[in-house]
Amino acid sequence: MTGDTHYDLDVLAELAEDLLDAGTARQVREHLAVCDPCGELLADLAAVREVLAATPTPAMPMGVALRIDKALAAELREAESYGARRGGVGLAETPDWDELMRDSPWERPAEAPEPARLGVVAEDGTIVPAGRRAARRRRWAMPAVAAAAAAAVVGTAVVSSGLLASGGSGPDLVFEADAPSPTREEARARAYALTDSGHNYSDQELRQPLEGFLAPAPIINGGSPDVDKVDTCVSKVATRSKLTTYAVDQGQYNGQEAIIVASWKDKASGRLRIDIVDPFNCKNLRKPMLGRW
Amino acid sequence: MNSPPETPSPADRPAVSDADLLTAHINGDPHAFSEIVKRHRDRMWAVALRTLGDPDEAADAVQDAFVSAYRKAGTFRGEAAVTTWLHRIVVNACLDRMRRKSIRPVADDELIEAAERDSPLPDQTVEREVSMEVSAALKLLPTDQRAALVLVDMMGYSVEDAAQVLDVPSGTVKSRCARGRAKLAPILSHLRNRSDLSRVSSAKGAELRDG
Repeated sequence: MTGDTHYDLDVLAELAEDLLDAGTARQVREHLAVCDPCGELLADLAAVREVLAATPTPAMPMGVALRIDKALAAELREAESYGARRGGVGLAETPDWDELMRDSPWERPAEAPEPARLGVVAEDGTIVPAGRRAARRRRWAMPAVAAAAAAAVVGTAVVSSGLLASGGSGPDLVFEADAPSPTREEARARAYALTDSGHNYSDQELRQPLEGFLAPAPIINGGSPDVDKVDTCVSKVATRSKLTTYAVDQGQYNGQEAIIVASWKDKASGRLRIDIVDPFNCKNLRKPMLGRW
Repeated sequence: MNSPPETPSPADRPAVSDADLLTAHINGDPHAFSEIVKRHRDRMWAVALRTLGDPDEAADAVQDAFVSAYRKAGTFRGEAAVTTWLHRIVVNACLDRMRRKSIRPVADDELIEAAERDSPLPDQTVEREVSMEVSAALKLLPTDQRAALVLVDMMGYSVEDAAQVLDVPSGTVKSRCARGRAKLAPILSHLRNRSDLSRVSSAKGAELRDG
């Protein structure tokens, strides 16, 4: 098979892996010596190896690492509760573990108040408890402090500042439980709705209407350094996008801590620009995408 | 090529082998397994992410694998290295997932593309584009070829190590790699002159993450 008969990529790849029998290998080599197109194909094969080797291998995102620690900690507890051998995983060295675990069931003080539960006003005026999105949730129940902070929001206050007045399509958030009333300054201070759902967003979910994700989470107000940081970040995003920020959620994106910033691109048609930024440096974790409310 | 599996630096880690840690874990040391996880999680993540091509799926697979390793540590026999054993569990978790899952519907990317057209992101690097192209191309391969190429070409393992992880003869790994490369060549050949990309190594990424 020399001259005008060429070899295909499979044969050339096998040659490169030394998988051909000696006779065939010799024939192919002789052909390669005189055939530029086949030489090109061989170079393409070599390039595949180079490209694959040069593709960065990212480190495990902290969200995933924490999730695994949590799963292993659960294994340990289970083993202990059955009186089985100890063995398992230490939590001490995990970054920010205390911060993230402060609301976990085994660390919550007995007297901690039940977080105020939010409801959504349905079309007919009845209050529907806000559903918890349990699936794939990588953070846990709302911390008591966040619950207190969340008390700063009431549907009317929000509506009066024009936040949810998107043609009346979005449900208003109200409290079911007694909660301290927010001051109007607090509610007005921010021009967008800030939530802390802790939800781990995927690309697929961000393509869905965002209302389902952002609206049910409790809105929180300012006052804590964390929230101030988010505010700073959001204003940076707004400067970059030159759009009006509508809703901001603190959660995760593919397992990484992230702030999801939704800004109106075309309010009439409910089209938003979605920026996914990391909460530490406000850098975009992915390209801004077009979303819907 | 990747750096070889990280050896613990004497400064911050005692000279305890993976096998010692696993023994300690079996004997009830509650911290031993977390040390194993810490040592190998980046590598396992990379394998799972590249094999599955989807961060959510990869996170599930790695979690399943570590939990499974935690539970069945007692069955580890010690003929293989702990890393090989862990890799095998992770790769199998990935292959299981791929087999169970029907082909994903092609995502509706029209909206995003539209958004990207009118708001190009300046920090969108060539590197990331290449990475996405590679991920997409790998998804076109049969699972066995993909797993072999991830270990050998992407992670830089020897054919023999990959054969151990995949539990097949070396010749099988070679032929899976050959067939996989032959399929990828037409798709990735245009990247030939862009392959001198600077790499973001796992170590660097871990540094960024862990502060």
